[in-house]
Amino acid sequence: MLRESSKLEGDKVDLKIITSGLDVDGGVPEEKALVDFAEAALGQDTQAISTARSNLEQKIGTDGMIDAAAVIANFQRMVRIADGAGIPLDAPVAMVTAGMRDDLGINEFSSASYTPAVGFFKRALGSVLGLFLPIMLRRMSKSAD
Amino acid sequence: MSEAALHFDYSQAKYSIRQDLPQAYREVWDKIASPGNWFPGQDRVSIAAEVRSAWQCDLCLERKSALSPFSVTGNHRSVTNLPDTVIDAVHRLTTDASRLTKSWLGECQRKGLSLEQYVELLGVVVAVVSIDGFHRALGIELEPLPTPNPGEPDQYCPDTAVDGDAWVPMIPPASANGQESDLYDGSKQTGNVISAMSLVPDSVRLLKTLSAVQYLKLSDVPNPSKNANRKISRAQMELLAGRVSALSDCFY
Repeated sequence: MLRESSKLEGDKVDLKIITSGLDVDGGVPEEKALVDFAEAALGQDTQAISTARSNLEQKIGTDGMIDAAAVIANFQRMVRIADGAGIPLDAPVAMVTAGMRDDLGINEFSSASYTPAVGFFKRALGSVLGLFLPIMLRRMSKSAD
Repeated sequence: MSEAALHFDYSQAKYSIRQDLPQAYREVWDKIASPGNWFPGQDRVSIAAEVRSAWQCDLCLERKSALSPFSVTGNHRSVTNLPDTVIDAVHRLTTDASRLTKSWLGECQRKGLSLEQYVELLGVVVAVVSIDGFHRALGIELEPLPTPNPGEPDQYCPDTAVDGDAWVPMIPPASANGQESDLYDGSKQTGNVISAMSLVPDSVRLLKTLSAVQYLKLSDVPNPSKNANRKISRAQMELLAGRVSALSDCFY
C-alpha cells in the first residue's frame, strides 16, 4: 500500500526504507521525522520519544503528529494479532508480493514460516497481476470518491 | 455518569486530541471491563494489568534477548492471580509475539487454555498494547484500568468458525451471517488479520473500533487514496505501518 499510495501522490518510493530505515532515501515526505518517531515510540526511552515527537511536530504540525502516533499504535496492535494467531499472508497478496518480499528480506522473519512458499507458476502469475494492480486500485479510488 | 465516561479525559493533555480517539478508547475500556465470551470482567481487567506488567518483567526481558524464547524458564513479574498459562501467554504476546509458535500454543491448550480463551485474551492484549502505545507516544500517563463490571461469560462460540491455515479457527467472510453479519461490513473478502480473532467476534469488533480512529475504517484500507482526512498522507501512514511491522519482525 505504501507503493500504491505513493504513486497516487506522485512520489516514487524506495520500499527498502521499511526494512532498512533511514539508511535509504525512501522518497516519502518528512520520512526522517516519521521513521524516527516510529522507532522511538516502539522503545522505552521516554526522552527519545519526546525528542522525536517534538521534531515531528515541528515538521508536520501537532495534528499530524497525533495522527502519526495513532497509526503507530494501530500497528502495534496489528502485528500482535498476525503473530499471535499465526495467520499466513493472504494468498493473492503472497503471489503479487513474492519478489518484493525477497528484495526486502522480510522472508527472513520467523513469522514468514506461516505462509507457504510461492511456487514458480504463482510467482510468475503474481508478477503479471502486479502490473494491473495500480489500475485496479485507481479504479477503486475513483469509484469510492 | 458511567465510569467509562470518566476515562480518557484529555482536556489537560499537552496536545488537543481529536475527540473520536477518546470516544473509541472509552468504548474499548468499557468492553474490557465487561464479561466476554470466555472470561469475566475481572479476568479481562487482570489481563490488561498483566500487559502493563510484562514491560517490566525480567523474564520477558531475558527471553527477548535469548536466541530462543523457549530456552529460558522462570517466573513472570505477575500482578494478578490469573493462571500461569494465561499470564505467560499475555506476557509473550505483549513483548515477543513474533517468535510464538504453533507448538507453543498447543502446549497452552494441553495446560488447559482453550483456543477460544486464547483468542479472547489476544483481543484484550492487543487493545491495551495499542491504547497504551498511543499514550506513550504522546507522553501521556497511562489510563487507569477500568473497574470490572459484574457478570459471567456466556461461552458463545460461533458455529461458522472453521479450521484453516491459521493456528486458530476463523469465520470466513462468506460465512459471516446472522449475529456475525456485521463483522466484515458485508464484504465477501477480507484480510486474514481481520478475521484472525473471529472465533471471538467481539474481539474483531474491538479491532474495528480502534482501527477506524487510529488508522482507517476497514473498508477504506484497500483503497490507497483514502486517508480519512488525517493530517498525514496515506503514504506517510503506510510508511509508519511498514516500519512498525518491520521493527516488530512481523512478516504479515
